[in-house]
Amino acid sequence: MREIFSDIEELTRTHTNTHVEAWKASGRPIIGYLCQYVPREIIIAAGALPLRLRGAGSPDSSLGDAYLSGRTCTYVRHVMSLSLDGRYDFLDGEIGLNTCDHVRRAADVFVKKTSIPFHGFLSVPRSPREGLYGYYRQELEKLVRGLEAHLGVRIDSDALRRAVKIMNEVRSRLTEINRLRLLERPALSGAESLAVHIASQVVPPEVFVAIADRLIEQLARGEGLDSPRGRLVLVGAELDEPSFVEALESQGALVVADRLCFGSRSVLPPIDETAEDPLDAVGRAYFFQPSCARMIGDFPVRWQALKGMVAESRADGVVFERLVFCDPWGAEVHNIMERSRKEQAFPVLVLSREYGIVPTGQLKTRVQAFVEKLEIARARRLAAGQ
Amino acid sequence: MKSVDLTRTPQWRQLFESLPVIQRFFAGDPDSHGMNRLLHNVAIYLERMVDSLDRGAPFVWYNLGFNSELVYALGDAFPLTIESLGVLHNLLGNTHVSLDFIDTAEASGVPSDCCSADKLAVGAIRKGLYPEPACCVGINTPCDAQVMGTQVMAELSGKPFFLIDVPYYHNEETIRHVAAQLKELVPFLEEHTGRRLDYDRLKEVCELSNTMTETIWEWLEWRRHVPLAQSSKLVAFTLVLQILFTGSEQGIDIAQGLLREARERTQRGERFFEERVRAVWYQDPVWTDLQIYDWFERELGLTVPIDVFGYYAHEGLIDTSTPESMLYGLARKLVNCHPMARQFRGSIDVYIRDFMHLHETWKADCGIFAGHIACKHAWGGIGLFKEACRKAGIPLLIFEFDMFDPRVTPYEDVYFEIERFVNEVVYPRKMRG
Repeated sequence: MREIFSDIEELTRTHTNTHVEAWKASGRPIIGYLCQYVPREIIIAAGALPLRLRGAGSPDSSLGDAYLSGRTCTYVRHVMSLSLDGRYDFLDGEIGLNTCDHVRRAADVFVKKTSIPFHGFLSVPRSPREGLYGYYRQELEKLVRGLEAHLGVRIDSDALRRAVKIMNEVRSRLTEINRLRLLERPALSGAESLAVHIASQVVPPEVFVAIADRLIEQLARGEGLDSPRGRLVLVGAELDEPSFVEALESQGALVVADRLCFGSRSVLPPIDETAEDPLDAVGRAYFFQPSCARMIGDFPVRWQALKGMVAESRADGVVFERLVFCDPWGAEVHNIMERSRKEQAFPVLVLSREYGIVPTGQLKTRVQAFVEKLEIARARRLAAGQ
Repeated sequence: MKSVDLTRTPQWRQLFESLPVIQRFFAGDPDSHGMNRLLHNVAIYLERMVDSLDRGAPFVWYNLGFNSELVYALGDAFPLTIESLGVLHNLLGNTHVSLDFIDTAEASGVPSDCCSADKLAVGAIRKGLYPEPACCVGINTPCDAQVMGTQVMAELSGKPFFLIDVPYYHNEETIRHVAAQLKELVPFLEEHTGRRLDYDRLKEVCELSNTMTETIWEWLEWRRHVPLAQSSKLVAFTLVLQILFTGSEQGIDIAQGLLREARERTQRGERFFEERVRAVWYQDPVWTDLQIYDWFERELGLTVPIDVFGYYAHEGLIDTSTPESMLYGLARKLVNCHPMARQFRGSIDVYIRDFMHLHETWKADCGIFAGHIACKHAWGGIGLFKEACRKAGIPLLIFEFDMFDPRVTPYEDVYFEIERFVNEVVYPRKMRG
């Protein structure tokens, strides 16, 4: 099993990997994207490889800083640093969004300062309500037309259905892997799970399905892991660094479930493979997915989902990670703390983070203290016979 | 909450007590029509708020990207911007109150790198200082900070919430998209306030709004005059007008005061200092110390004829012929004219294009990017903005500060940066021709 995880680690260590290189070498296009609100099915239906843009392997953010300043989030700055350094020049296009101010400004720099030949854009409404879905749908239609014109292909309904089918395969594997994390003895750690989820977004789906099948088979045969000091749910935005999760888990607690953009939030429920209007099926699945903190007014839904996740995973507490300068997740911190206080729901630890920085002793100390708090609470509950 | 409960709180009591003091101070200058009318109408606004509270009229909370017309058109519903209490204290010099709001927000989980305008809102709401709303309206402009503010407003108020989604693009489709949501908003407001939106009344409100807009345009025209005859510190008040007063008689009165002052001072050719350098102040005004602009004028000969909060784009008036045309006009105001929402929500091109327009039209010698630390949308475009200014040969000063929190960058540092820029870069360059 170690061998599979080593392979996965290798695939996710930098912004590219051997499968991406092989895809490119075969003359097929690659389209980069920055956010979970870009339906990968559309890119796949265009015959291209969807590649989630990452800052992995970026030595520093200086080029990104020059354009985006030091007051935007380090995830975006590292992605831009790689892009401005030409490391994403192999892309045949990229798709920007108005996800947040940072991603929006990155889109400006992509257009004006990189040699990437195609720039799509999705203006995603800020609330997942039915009345706004039509706008998102129109945006997807525009994206389809843009990709068709740029790549010289036709994205028809059959191609979309085939893309849905293969992405459902990916999702079913990830769903199973996430189920295995919930066991009394989780089959894999949070860090390993995050690496698997990242891999699903940076290799061709067929390749991922093959890797995942091998992994699931071995995980099912394994004995599972001890989590001597408790079980955690990890919540937050753009975290694609398993080493961060590893640092949390080094204090003896396991991350058994998560709500991370690169993690289990990237796993949508299955999409109807036979839908008469597959673009609509895809659009609805992405627009009404468990929402990102950018979606205004949807916090009550997210809160219920988080409570459900904590209950289902039998977690002792929640760790909330947030990249410094992120406003949408800043509101989420406030609201989660407010609700957890009001409802005495579960203990929460809030961690601010910079992208690309190896977790420090300070962070480990804070997690250690939190885990001790959870242990004490558990001991008290046991003593009280609860 | 009754008015007596509200006015008993130290934060409101202090506001009611300090407002007349500031009014008397500015009344010492009988030509200061702009500031005097603003303060006078703020007092009326507060009196109306107290009166609404006692009458049991419904309150509608909203964030600073929204305009007040639709609420005024509901009759006796009261529009309350959630940032208003903290901002008013800040403008009146009661910085300790606004800092207390900021600290309260941070203590409750709002990260320190988030916007102080939103922390003012969160702090005041957490302290229970606003009358309970019947419902809340949120809008995602001008920036992510509003995403934060609106989410917390929705959570802490616990009241029905309606979001207006403003897309990224500057096009006709965006206006129609927002107009359609305003149409949805009307029954939402009616249901939760228990007041009926009468389209005849909306027509009156929109006509008042148009008059205010035309007055603002005329006022800003007078500020193009070289040298600038009216104080720099007044220009940013366009934003206050649009958020709190648009669609009311008070809004017109303030705008007319600003216009009258600019016109009369210009016609008289008054000059209290020598204007050496004119700047477009791009990004946020120093509302935590308005007197800083007087210092710029007196000591450096630096004037600010226009800034991003003050500029109100010429994108047409509200056509009051039908309910649909009014909603369309209100939508266009929100997305194409509202200060910041226009420049900040979409591509950086609009931001840069507007700067170049202001620089040329208001005959500026330089740009000053007063970088409110939480304005990530603007900081995120800084590289492209700098390149554009360099290409156009426009000197640009960039510095970090917080418009409501002087602890971030002390006044002395702001003075130092601006003095050096004016005396060592812009003025010598201007003299060289």
